[in-house]
Amino acid sequence: MSVIEVNKLTKYYGKARGIIDVSFKVEEGEIFGFIGPNGAGKSTTIRLLLSLIYPTSGSATLFGRDAIKYGPELRQDIGYLPSEVFYYERMKVIDLLKYSASFYKKDCTRRMHELAELMELDMNRRIEDLSYGNKKKVGIVQGLLHRPKLLFLDEPTSGLDPLMQRKFFHLIREENARGVTVFFSSHILGEVQRLCDRVGIIKEGRIIEISDIRSLQQNNYKKIHIAAKSLDVSSFDIAGVNKLERTNGGVRFFYKGNINTIMRKISEIDLSDVTIEEPTLEEIFMHYYE
Amino acid sequence: MNIFLRELKANFKSLLIWGGIVILFVVISFAKFSAYADNPEMLAILDTMPSAMLDAFNLQAFNLTTLSGFYGVMFTYFALILSIAAAMWGSDIISKEERDKTVEFSLTLPVTRSKLVTGKTLAALANCIGLLLITWGATVANAQSYQPDSQFYHFLALGMLALFIMQLMFLAIGIFLGCAMKQYKRAGSVAVSLLLVTYFMSIISGMHEKLDFLKYFSPFKYFDAGELLHKGQMDTTYLLLSAVIIVVAMVGAYYTYARRDLYI
Repeated sequence: MSVIEVNKLTKYYGKARGIIDVSFKVEEGEIFGFIGPNGAGKSTTIRLLLSLIYPTSGSATLFGRDAIKYGPELRQDIGYLPSEVFYYERMKVIDLLKYSASFYKKDCTRRMHELAELMELDMNRRIEDLSYGNKKKVGIVQGLLHRPKLLFLDEPTSGLDPLMQRKFFHLIREENARGVTVFFSSHILGEVQRLCDRVGIIKEGRIIEISDIRSLQQNNYKKIHIAAKSLDVSSFDIAGVNKLERTNGGVRFFYKGNINTIMRKISEIDLSDVTIEEPTLEEIFMHYYE
Repeated sequence: MNIFLRELKANFKSLLIWGGIVILFVVISFAKFSAYADNPEMLAILDTMPSAMLDAFNLQAFNLTTLSGFYGVMFTYFALILSIAAAMWGSDIISKEERDKTVEFSLTLPVTRSKLVTGKTLAALANCIGLLLITWGATVANAQSYQPDSQFYHFLALGMLALFIMQLMFLAIGIFLGCAMKQYKRAGSVAVSLLLVTYFMSIISGMHEKLDFLKYFSPFKYFDAGELLHKGQMDTTYLLLSAVIIVVAMVGAYYTYARRDLYI
């Protein structure tokens, strides 16, 4: 069963584009990366799934049930960490967390303290006195204290220092190992690459690619760097070669196509060195946005 | 229940502030009344004023030198203060979630929007009742030095009931505006402007017969203190009209809030 199933979801804010015809599925136990630059429609998608806003057309199901009709019930099993966390400023952290916990049909006290300890969160301070990063920590504890089965993370690492980021990723992996499905939205590709199984790439409100990370890297481009003494750069100007550039003592380019063709071409040269790499997600990503 | 309690706590300070304003107002008013009480010269001064002006400030219907008459004049100001508080609490308690961007927290919890509206409405209602009781208590306490009779207490009770119904009306209108308005930032100011407009309508409607129809648009005219004092009961038509306004506003609030996009 797909935990998230989105079907031609479209949202216009008046005339302004939110998302258009977005469809994808996220399977149980998966970490699904959702990448795109600011304003591409990542947050809109999540807010639609949490029925904070309503779609112009299309539909979405969570755990096989309509996301809007059964929204309040479904949210018993959903945790959400927004990109910017806003809480009732005048409340103490502990009171806010207890308030949040009071909505769930289970006792969340132990988990709450566990998480607060893990994230090194001082629960006796007022929300208004907290720094941005500390508010984010409150968000993490609040989003996880009820042991959700599905997690929506919207650019979760902004504001966290590297040490906390590592702890956070560890925490997410642990949750995932328990079977929690994770929907991870981000524009930082490195962290998506580290964490996710599959990714959806969204651009200007439309999904332009859904693929698992490995095949995205393998099937797409090879990053090739050749070093040789005498080299005719123009001889590499063939179909499938991209971003050809001369480097100090060689050439570098991206290649997509039959790998044998390019290997034959390379073997004609008297090489001093060659590296063939899979491109980073960053490089693939830039390609989609050119 | 958890929403109700949290909102009650969050709005308690505001109740104290409004309570302070009411108490201060009552104390100052009674200080003035000490000059009018059993003072026939005061009546002579009032008689020299133009009658339209007396009508506008509702001074015609009362004998200012008696406790009941004085309270009848004060009633309008109580109505104004309590209604403004109710309208502001109503609109603010809903719209602040969007203003402070906390909807992304409070409405991603497993709770329906209507439950949130219910919890918040009840908390605002509790504040209204609290403020009404403060008003009542302050008036009774200050009246003690002027030997209040049973007629005064009856009039006072009737007046408080009328104030309560007006609070309910403006609370419901405030809640509706908070729920329905896309420009949530303006919900509070629209609620108070609406209230002031209806208040001035109530003044104008008393000044000329041709403007009499305006009284149906102004809740301040529904419970005219003069009529309350002289008839000793409320007008059924206006009671029904009040009930309709409250019900329509609340139904509208639930309906629109459940269906609209929240702004973050």
